[in-house]
Amino acid sequence: MSEQTGMITMQLMGKNYQVPTGLTIMAAIEYAGYKLVRGAGCRGGFCGACPTLYRRSDNHRIFTALACQTLVEDGMCLVQMPFVPVVSRRYDLHQIAAKPNTLLQHFPEIAGCVACNTCTRACPQGLQVMDYVQASLRGDIERAAMLSFDCIACGICSSRCPADIKHYAVGLLARRLYGKYVTPDSPQLAARVAELQTGNLIADLNALMALSQEELRARYEQRTFETSEENKEPFSAIQHYNSPMDPVDYKDEIEV
Amino acid sequence: MELIDGYPAAMRESIALVEQTRPTRLGRTFPAMTPEQRRELLLGHHPDYKDGAKRPLLFGPNKGMLLNHELADLFEARPLVSASLDLNDVDSDVDLLIIGGGGAGTVAAIWAVQAGLDPSRVLIATKLRHGDSNSTMAQGGIQSADRPHDSPAQHFLDAMGGGHFTNRPELVEALVSDAPLIIHWHEQLGVMYDKDEQGNFVMHPGGGTSRNRMHSARDYTGLEIMRVLRDEARNLHIPVVEFSPAIELLCDERGHVAGAVLVNLETKRYHIVRAKATIVTTGGLGRLHMQQYPTTNHYGATADGLILAYRAGAELVDLDAIQYHPTGAAFPAQMAGLLITEKVRGMGAQPVNCKGEQFVYPLEPRDVEASAFIRECSLGLGIPTPHGIQGVWLDAPMVDIIHGPGTIRSALPAMFRMYTRFGIDMTRDPILVFPTLHYQNGGIITNPDGATTVPGLYAAGEVMGGVHGKNRLMGNSLLDFNVFGRRAGIAAANYVREQAQPTRLSLEHVATYERHMRDAGIKTTRTAPRILPDYRGKEALERYLDIPL
Amino acid sequence: MQVAYYPGCTIKVSAQHHERAALAVLRALNIELCELPEWNCCGVLHSLTDDNLIRHMAPIRMFARLEEQGAHEMTTLCDMCFNTLAQANTWAKERPERIRAINSTSGGELDYDGRAQILHLLQLLRDRVGLAAIKARVRRPLRGLTIYPYYGCKLLRPSEVAMDDPETPRVLHDLMLALGATVAEGPLQTQCCGSYHVVDREQLVTNRVAATTDEARERGAEALVLSCPLCHYNFDSFQGSNHAALPIFYYTQLMGIAFGLEPEELGLDAHRVALLPVLLEHELVPEGVQVN
Ligand SMILES: Cc1cc2nc3c(=O)[nH]c(=O)nc-3n(C[C@H](O)[C@H](O)[C@H](O)COP(=O)(O)OP(=O)(O)OC[C@H]3O[C@@H](n4cnc5c(N)ncnc54)[C@H](O)[C@@H]3O)c2cc1C
Ligand code: SF4
Ligand code: SF4
Ligand code: FES
Repeated sequence: MSEQTGMITMQLMGKNYQVPTGLTIMAAIEYAGYKLVRGAGCRGGFCGACPTLYRRSDNHRIFTALACQTLVEDGMCLVQMPFVPVVSRRYDLHQIAAKPNTLLQHFPEIAGCVACNTCTRACPQGLQVMDYVQASLRGDIERAAMLSFDCIACGICSSRCPADIKHYAVGLLARRLYGKYVTPDSPQLAARVAELQTGNLIADLNALMALSQEELRARYEQRTFETSEENKEPFSAIQHYNSPMDPVDYKDEIEV
Repeated sequence: MELIDGYPAAMRESIALVEQTRPTRLGRTFPAMTPEQRRELLLGHHPDYKDGAKRPLLFGPNKGMLLNHELADLFEARPLVSASLDLNDVDSDVDLLIIGGGGAGTVAAIWAVQAGLDPSRVLIATKLRHGDSNSTMAQGGIQSADRPHDSPAQHFLDAMGGGHFTNRPELVEALVSDAPLIIHWHEQLGVMYDKDEQGNFVMHPGGGTSRNRMHSARDYTGLEIMRVLRDEARNLHIPVVEFSPAIELLCDERGHVAGAVLVNLETKRYHIVRAKATIVTTGGLGRLHMQQYPTTNHYGATADGLILAYRAGAELVDLDAIQYHPTGAAFPAQMAGLLITEKVRGMGAQPVNCKGEQFVYPLEPRDVEASAFIRECSLGLGIPTPHGIQGVWLDAPMVDIIHGPGTIRSALPAMFRMYTRFGIDMTRDPILVFPTLHYQNGGIITNPDGATTVPGLYAAGEVMGGVHGKNRLMGNSLLDFNVFGRRAGIAAANYVREQAQPTRLSLEHVATYERHMRDAGIKTTRTAPRILPDYRGKEALERYLDIPL
Repeated sequence: MQVAYYPGCTIKVSAQHHERAALAVLRALNIELCELPEWNCCGVLHSLTDDNLIRHMAPIRMFARLEEQGAHEMTTLCDMCFNTLAQANTWAKERPERIRAINSTSGGELDYDGRAQILHLLQLLRDRVGLAAIKARVRRPLRGLTIYPYYGCKLLRPSEVAMDDPETPRVLHDLMLALGATVAEGPLQTQCCGSYHVVDREQLVTNRVAATTDEARERGAEALVLSCPLCHYNFDSFQGSNHAALPIFYYTQLMGIAFGLEPEELGLDAHRVALLPVLLEHELVPEGVQVN
């Protein structure tokens, strides 16, 4: 256990704390006695609530990280940056069109991008942030949507950008435009929605609703399974999923 | 700690054994259990059946319902504010209060406005930031029967069977018949689902579904839906107060719900909201860490809504059944509890113990699989980690061996990226897993329009119960927060139109609740709701001084 | 022949028809433009401040990315981009320490060695393809059509980056002759069109455009040919109403016509001053052709 209890020193907002190795930055901050209110959300790398800036003693640069996804290191000098103000103009997606200059009109500041690529280097998701800003600038909505897709809106890029660009808001509009206007609507879905209006499908449902529990179980057992697209054989994970028995059958709620 | 390609030396020793047995395990899968064996295993090892893990609720409309102690503790707890709190100064006077800014809350707000409410008369109050929620974390997908050889009826069957027929049929009916309308709505909002060139959705299978009806947006389905919804709500000018959880519901003199007491987490100042209708959308409870399990859930998933609603008299259902996902990450620490998709086993990775031996069929039902992992660890055959928890190996490299090199990278890119971040190459080394607390199956009882048993109070999303019965299928909860968020939003907007602003606000229901608690013989200093779990270090807390500053 | 291609924002946003015509024409000449997979705005204007490294980074990054692909030459259609990229490159090549400074400001991410260069498409056509080859490809000579070539600034100034003689440029003249057209010329061919003053001093632009088009008309021109998208915008929008407006062509469009390409491929519709009448008059497009 000796290595596991090995301690390192982290400098949090200018104060030194001894924390065990192997913790995430977030866990280390909590270990030190901080109760996080801001600076933690999903704790799993999905929400962008935990952007962190830090320096190392052996390098002059500022590094960035998600506190919940990064190990604390000895000598790290860090601060959490729980909020990057973003105020952007409201829009009604239904009233705007996906034109080459739509993004520029909504975010004129993207024209100020000096292509320093600071945003890309800062992005904890490893996205090509400058490239999606540049794609937005030239009206390539598809490219901007694709490149920005994994953005979790942590705001680190926006805090570092010399041109004060609101990257993640730009990416969001690009993706919504792409999803709504650039990709075609699903014909199958449209057909299904129309079919629902006719009421036939609802009649089938009502018929199931009218069955007794035994009849319903029988119908359930008789389900046929769609074959998996690639190998045309039933995908076993699906069929084996369901427990053959009811948890409620053999241990019921206790009455008191 | 010295790591060798991501793992400490002690774990490396076990990995060597896994590698040794791999050739003989290939093509030889551990046999599936008989129903009898499964039953025995579940009763012996599943957390839901663990003796002594639960106790019955002693008072209120759900008296007798078995709850994990961690949850029961919160029902048997004192309120954070006393019933005599001064309620005369109303801070926000609105038509509709929505408690919880996750998926369900945001959908409800949008549809309440679509149904005619003035956006400035709607308020979303949420605990963390708008969108910090379980919704954002969902990866896999959302179900909807919209292909020709699929139907809402088929979807209905799958959901009912998945829930062991404990679901409320009228809720499932609403769920499956609204599903295509929801996806259509998302399409109009610009949600970037994976599509083929014609615009049809790329559909995946999901556990328990007989058709491929899982719509996804890469591995970020929940994130993509949530950020679009949040953007839409912003564009509709719907006000949101962040870092302001509700800590108690308010009632009027008739006992109808009439708003809530919020608390600003930073100033600790309370804030009275008076509302003609209130929708609770506070999500799940993973952060209660039932039986000390890690969880996939977000930081604020602490069952607050259940407590608040129960105190106001709402009925609950199915809270005895909690969903544990068999494969949560167990190593490294920073991934602990995070979800490892079922697909990894589906593609051939076998679970093996510390000696490199198989001990369970890889695709047993989730609850059985999870129980087998737990049993293995309790037999001392798990693999200990430096941070204290144990796990079993999931022999990930088998996927590439079976399906050819490169399969992991292309078919499981998110998993691959996640492990790579922490220096582990899952194409070469096995990954360590252990069951993780995933989903609150039950919750507040509602009708198909989200109305609870208390007038003025609606519920939607993970906090509501009944639609999934005792077991939810993957892809049905992203769906349910949309379906019932929408229905609750519309129903509440209609209800609001017929209501006058409540005149007298009261916390009498809280006083009554405390009386019931006393009558049941419960004496406690615990308080609820929990709001946030406490992960502060023991060492730090030992010297904590609670001084006024 | 394959050539790396830097489009620039203007081409993608407001001069798409120029690009469409260029691509069609180059296809006809068996040249494939390979757009850089990721590129950024050139910065629009060359910064005259020596030590403002950040401002030089955008253009230099493009040369570095070009080299990452193993190429050393790229072409562009836009006169502004050409000018900015060429000036930045010249600035950088003048002193190796400038390149080093940029590389290190980039956090070690850029590794430019100063060996790349930018070619305007007109340069590519003149110097790599050759006017003879272009002439050989002509199927429908622009016989009888009198054209006034307009150069503006960005191809010619400053002289360090000029792609032609700054005083008496010939490239458009020669190209038009190769296409079989008659050329009308005059001293205002290289005068600035007013450029970005269009946003704050519209009258200045209107005066300059009027002077140039007047000169062109006086010398018998029926149309004006140019290369720069910004000049194009100014000429196409601000001719005033004293005369029937002159149609403004991109050279790529006239090449396409002379090559006998389908008019639909040449973006002839995206102009304020209609292009078709003059082409119909000289029977350079089929009767009854529709362009949108
Ligand atoms: C890792 C993970 C993966 C998943 N994958 C899938 C999947 O693939 N498919 C699928 O269908 N489902 C999946 N789920 C389940 C699904 O994401 C959730 O069940 C669903 O999103 C819940 O939505 P909700 O709006 O009810 O709750 P949430 O989205 O959790 O929102 C609840 C909100 O209420 C706030 N809140 C809580 N208490 C209070 C309070 N007292 N006052 C004010 N606000 C409060 C919370 O902070 C939060 O913002 C997954 C869940 C997780 C955790
Ligand atoms: S940081 Fe700002 S200016 Fe620099 S490349 Fe990114 S968007 Fe452009
Ligand atoms: S693009 Fe910006 S906001 Fe998005 S994840 Fe990267 S750094 Fe964060
Ligand atoms: S807490 Fe959500 S990304 Fe770190």
